[in-house]
Amino acid sequence: MTRNTGFHQRVAAAVADHRLRTAVRKATWQKVEAREGSLACLRNSGELRELAARIRQHTLARLPDYLEQFARNACARGAVIHFAPDAATACQTVVELARYYGSKLAVKVKSMTTEEIGLNAVLEAVGVQVVETDLGEFVVQIDRDRPSHIVTPIIHKDRRQIAEAISRRLGCEYTEDPVGLTRIIRRHLREIFRRCDLGISGVNFAVAETGTICICTNEGNGRMCTTRPRVHVAIMGIEKVVPRLCDLVVFLKLLSRSSTGQPLGSYTSLIAGPKRPGDPDGPEHLHIILLDNGRSAVLASPFAEVLCCVRCGACLNACPVYRAIGGHAYNSVYPGPIGSVLMPLLDSSGKHADLPGASSLCGACRVACPVDIDIPGLLIRLRAAQRRGQSWLKRTMMRLWGVTMRSDPTYRLGQRLLKRLLPDEGDGWTVRGLCPLARWTSARDLLRPPLKSFRQLWQEGQV
Amino acid sequence: MSGSKGGPGADASANALELLLHRLRLRPAYSTDPGLPADPAAIARQVQSDDDLLARFAAAATAAGTPVESVPAAAVSATVVSLLKEHGARTVLLSPLAGSALSVAEAEDLGRALREAGLQTTLATDDDTLFSVDAAVTGVIAAVAESGTIVCPSGPGSARGASLIPPIHVALVGSGQLLPDLCDYLAGLSAQGELPANLSLISGPSKTADIEGVLVTGVHGPGQLHVLIVR
Repeated sequence: MTRNTGFHQRVAAAVADHRLRTAVRKATWQKVEAREGSLACLRNSGELRELAARIRQHTLARLPDYLEQFARNACARGAVIHFAPDAATACQTVVELARYYGSKLAVKVKSMTTEEIGLNAVLEAVGVQVVETDLGEFVVQIDRDRPSHIVTPIIHKDRRQIAEAISRRLGCEYTEDPVGLTRIIRRHLREIFRRCDLGISGVNFAVAETGTICICTNEGNGRMCTTRPRVHVAIMGIEKVVPRLCDLVVFLKLLSRSSTGQPLGSYTSLIAGPKRPGDPDGPEHLHIILLDNGRSAVLASPFAEVLCCVRCGACLNACPVYRAIGGHAYNSVYPGPIGSVLMPLLDSSGKHADLPGASSLCGACRVACPVDIDIPGLLIRLRAAQRRGQSWLKRTMMRLWGVTMRSDPTYRLGQRLLKRLLPDEGDGWTVRGLCPLARWTSARDLLRPPLKSFRQLWQEGQV
Repeated sequence: MSGSKGGPGADASANALELLLHRLRLRPAYSTDPGLPADPAAIARQVQSDDDLLARFAAAATAAGTPVESVPAAAVSATVVSLLKEHGARTVLLSPLAGSALSVAEAEDLGRALREAGLQTTLATDDDTLFSVDAAVTGVIAAVAESGTIVCPSGPGSARGASLIPPIHVALVGSGQLLPDLCDYLAGLSAQGELPANLSLISGPSKTADIEGVLVTGVHGPGQLHVLIVR
């Protein structure tokens, strides 16, 4: 089981970190309540969710047509479309654009896609300074940390850790007050926004019928990064397209409600091309990079449903595993339930092979999902697809389990054997099973089988 | 897929995109196509046109952190003056928008009233102005009752930075500009012909809850957004 040790160690460390657990638990519950509250205000949240799922499924079924339509319309409005089959090509395209326009200072909107392709390091390596402008991402960047949530990158940090990072890296006065910390960051980034010459963003949605890209933020950094610099480069996964503006409405209504509990985030930008003649401000050049990076292969696989995801983060907040271990233990760009499906599919190196196991399959993620992705079902199918990679011990045990459960005599034998392997430790629970169950019980307490089974009681006429 | 001045790599990547589309078309399509719903608004709509739009707008905007006041047209100048003075603004950017409650003529009247009250006004949209004024007053092209949203477009004379960079944003909304639902605005947009390069749907002041879930306003955009509905 060597390939599991890294993941298991990270989980054990996360579970032992009291501060982390407290911070993550508090923040996720707050978000769960906000989401449920705002969805309850809709007259028909169930119907809206079905509608959203249907539009996503239809779009994926006709993805080539909609992508082409989007590219054509975006071009007609003055955007330049690039296509990147993989992360390296996407990064290289941004590097070439930065060189072409002579960009030295890039500002970034929070974007999971740019995390996925590891853009910052590549740009820094060629001498372009990159500044994250989402407050959470900014703290992550100056503290040389990693984001641990799709929507709230510093969910794992409490205010003291944030205050220490800010005062240490920016050399300013120490304050733990969220308002004071925000003021410091505002002042610092305002100067950057005056000087920056390249804006980099992801894309929340792309509208095929108009060639519009849609970017949603609460802080206004999305608007700053797409207004201030003379060049705007947007990187979008090929699955982000929606057919029409009237379809976009459905997702806008669900996205903010699902991620932060707002009817609509503070700023929703609809961008159709670069600045027009007569516009006082705005970027002179707009480049849109369509990123595949494994998505077209997923689309052709039995796991295509995962591409319906709108990255709202609701499944992370709802997941009891995520709430217990936070995002870093997953050691992946996309953590939580959706990450456990997405990462092994996008990255076939085997690095993320453990993630489908990081779920109790309770189904809370599916209930929370605004586009009704069957995340537990996908996890089960991923586990099945990975069966070959499992240790012989686990495979043998599972085969034995199958044989035992399928016939009456072996089931009875198994029952008797189990009582021996699971010693009663007083309260009816087994904390330390005997070999070969020791490994199982190292992470789970098992309820000990009752002294007399239902079958015995039945035979003795007691039921 | 690229314009004549596409920049580096655009033509090569356009070819690559053609290849991808071709490859995707050859592959078996994703499951079964449930079909595109003809009218998503029938399900998505939350606010009807016969609802009390002003009350709905005010409730949603207030919940998003935007105080809303309904004033008669004759009282707009006086209200803006007292609002800006109350919040300590001394320099004010006026960003008129044709067809809104702050047309060029109305901006002139408002500017006069502000100056008489001792405030400095400007119509300039250069960087130094945008980053130094205390407040901006703008018109909008539409407002959405459902989510308490105002819509600010880019366009000639209409700087994106006006509703973004100054710490206080006062938006004037004509009562006839109130639409019931986001469906009404976005669905109507595609029928209107050419879109502006940028449309900002603004629902409340700039905010974050990144630090321990505590709500803080004024991160990068305005810390205060005030909406006046002009009757």
